[in-house]
Amino acid sequence: MAGKVVWGPEPTKQVWGSSLGRHSPSLFLQLPSNQTLRFRGNKAEAWGAALEGGIESSVVPQDCVVGEEEEEDQRPLKELPLCLEEKRRLRFLQEQAASRLSGWRLWRVEKQRTLRHLRSQAGTVMSYVVMWKSTLRHIEGHFGTGIQSYFNFLRFLVLMNFVASLLVVGFVIAPNAAFEALHLNWTGRPNNVSANASCVHYDPSAHGLVSYFSYIMDLLSGKGFMELTYLFYGYYQNSAVDFASFSYNVPLAYLLTAFFYLLFCLIWIVQRSVYCLKHSLVSEDASLGSYSNKVFAGWDFGLMQHSAVQLKHKSIRYELRMDLEEEALRRRLAERTTRQRATLYILRGLLNLLVLSLLGGGFFCIYLATSYSQWLLGSADSPVKGQYILELLVAYLPSIVITVANLLIPIIFGVIVQLEKYPLSFEIKITLLRNVFLRLASLVVLLISLWSQITCSGDPKDSNCKDCGYSHLFPCWETSVGQEMYKLLIFDLLIMLLVMLFVEFPRKILVTYLPSCPLLKLWGQQEFMVPSNVLDLVYGQTVCWTGALFCPLLPVLNTLKYIMIFYLKKLTLYANCRPAERTFRASSSNFFFLLVLLMGLTISCVPALYSMFVLPPSKSCGPFRGEPTMWNTVSNAISELPLTAQEFLEFVGSLAFAVPLFLLLSILMFYLMALAGSYSSMVKGLKGQLRLEGQDKLFLVKQISELSQ
Amino acid sequence: MGNKQTIFTLEQLDAYQDATFFTKKEILRLFYRYRDLAPQLVPLDYTKKPNVKLPYELIGSMPELKDNPFRQRIAEVFSEDGEGNMTLDDFLDMFSVMSEMAPRDLKAYYAFKIYDFNNDDYICKSDLEKTVNKLTRKELTPEEVCLVCNKVIDEADMDNDGKLSLEDFQHMIVRAPDFLSTFHIRI
Repeated sequence: MAGKVVWGPEPTKQVWGSSLGRHSPSLFLQLPSNQTLRFRGNKAEAWGAALEGGIESSVVPQDCVVGEEEEEDQRPLKELPLCLEEKRRLRFLQEQAASRLSGWRLWRVEKQRTLRHLRSQAGTVMSYVVMWKSTLRHIEGHFGTGIQSYFNFLRFLVLMNFVASLLVVGFVIAPNAAFEALHLNWTGRPNNVSANASCVHYDPSAHGLVSYFSYIMDLLSGKGFMELTYLFYGYYQNSAVDFASFSYNVPLAYLLTAFFYLLFCLIWIVQRSVYCLKHSLVSEDASLGSYSNKVFAGWDFGLMQHSAVQLKHKSIRYELRMDLEEEALRRRLAERTTRQRATLYILRGLLNLLVLSLLGGGFFCIYLATSYSQWLLGSADSPVKGQYILELLVAYLPSIVITVANLLIPIIFGVIVQLEKYPLSFEIKITLLRNVFLRLASLVVLLISLWSQITCSGDPKDSNCKDCGYSHLFPCWETSVGQEMYKLLIFDLLIMLLVMLFVEFPRKILVTYLPSCPLLKLWGQQEFMVPSNVLDLVYGQTVCWTGALFCPLLPVLNTLKYIMIFYLKKLTLYANCRPAERTFRASSSNFFFLLVLLMGLTISCVPALYSMFVLPPSKSCGPFRGEPTMWNTVSNAISELPLTAQEFLEFVGSLAFAVPLFLLLSILMFYLMALAGSYSSMVKGLKGQLRLEGQDKLFLVKQISELSQ
Repeated sequence: MGNKQTIFTLEQLDAYQDATFFTKKEILRLFYRYRDLAPQLVPLDYTKKPNVKLPYELIGSMPELKDNPFRQRIAEVFSEDGEGNMTLDDFLDMFSVMSEMAPRDLKAYYAFKIYDFNNDDYICKSDLEKTVNKLTRKELTPEEVCLVCNKVIDEADMDNDGKLSLEDFQHMIVRAPDFLSTFHIRI
């Protein structure tokens, strides 16, 4: 039973583990730490021989005690690593024990069981409600988790936009529509600021004969008949409506809805990113492509399709080979001479300058395009009026330039990054970062150029701006901004459709029917590139957030747009794409996607907040005409609250509250950072201790086997 | 809703529901999947607990498993006799552990058993080599395989005995973020 220990001749290599493992298995098996290994099946297998008598007791390990003394809720039966027969026996024992309980304890056990049951039922019901669940599962099975993470992200965006649009419709659009339909009285509000006569004039509707084309034009650019509708800011009244016993303050509702929409999105994204972060478990030594992760968690057990399986084999092989090569490369790089290193750094510096200059050039083009477009369309005697196609082209000029820049510049980035000779993981990161910056910054440039047009570059004394406080070329500047965002949204969708129809489908057809052409073979079949597609989504969502204050229906349009994109992308995935050779790591990227989305939200909050607090609202249109700033409505509303509420809100908004709060939060943050630092050093210490304990164990077992001879 | 079926007693279904991550509906569905593999062997009445075992060849031919390089090991680990011949209990147990509701520790325990080819309760270098070869279909050179195995042992072996124990493995799985999503069979 104790196992004959044959201690052979001392091996020349002092490999403790292998020599000992061969010679004294039974000793290791008697160690308490091995008791955690559950015994499986009825037959006594290799290691069970030493513990024949202990089968009964080994089945009841420390953390699953059945008996009257154990009152805590044990781990549910299904989570125990035992075979079903054992679980049935355990269940029987548990029930017997439960039947012996009485009174309070019995009630508690019953309640816990009912609660668990209810929770599982609720989980089942929730899983039925989840949208597109079967589609996502199918995609996961055929294309892997990397591509599925994109569609998961898209589904999240659809849901977020849908709930947000419910919010907007419920508080802004539906009340307005109801009030109009019921012909309720609008109580006018006194004009606080005396306005220049020229600033109040605003009439966007077309006069005279309107041709058919102009309707299509208006639909695509948001002007004409579309301008004075619920779609844009300019339509809403600046008065309250009295009905029943209270008055519904339309401007206040408008402002607070926009504010809470952004806040709600922020909270949801932060909550989801914390959830993703916990799941991706960023530890201090988790490298992007650790070997054990690839070997043990690399095979996707859910793959069913034969071609997907072949591809998975290939991609695992490819990844392991890449990692080994990168390792070898890194060793070679470390042996570079100083001279080589210097030349490389100079080269990298120059290429980074090139990158910056490309970005600068792109941004300048966007700025020029926006200014030109606004000027051309805004002036009454512009040469393009009347020629619809030209007018449409000019209206969409900013969108066109942004899209062209976003198509061409990443290709150039791809070439540049090859020359920079970074290690592969860093290469991916820096390419992604550059693309993100390009996308979001081009939107920022568009907004800045709009701002400079509207506020005459911040100069209130400019000839255009001195009458109204903003440029008189924009009688209703919020609507103009809203129109610009509306155009960007439509154009984004249009471009996606066009690219799909004219690039992806032809590519697939050509590659399938002309397989011998060498050029086509080089180009190859389409691959579904997850990062660039995700950036497209983030860009679209940022546009929606930016325009939400000026174009309340934008979330609704965005929901519809994303639903369309889901089905279009699914179509192109199945019809045109082959699965990628390099699998995209889903887990760590989920958090990255949400981070980029959060960046987009931050960027889009700036124009909204700036317009709310600083810019003077248009005097001729919108719910804030007559107010010096949009936020004034809220101050007025607060002044109508009871005195204590007013004082409380004033205190909360004042510096006396903000500065101590800021200090407190900083202190808390430093404390948490210190705590995290101390935990990580404790973990390091424990790891070292574990290693030493292992060595102790081997030493002692060796001694015991020697002594027992 | 579930009272019309005559395959299991209510007690049996309750026991299955407690012991696996499936609902009663799913258990019945899985029973029919099991039966479809060999309708002549599997009776429609399990109330008397018949002793029916399906041979490994049938299990391994299921569409969910037939392309999986580890299907033999999975069947061996979950079968009672260790040869891959599964009773209905083993079948349900297997898919319960591989379902998406099973927690990480439970999956890690069974993953360890699957990757332990020689059943010595340690994943030694030969086990690792077999794993890597199965993953890449023997298309990596032996030196590359050896390098990869050494790297894995370097990364995961905590107590420096040159092989991975269950604790090492579970500790490493905690740091493998993809494990939960890949160690999952949909049925």
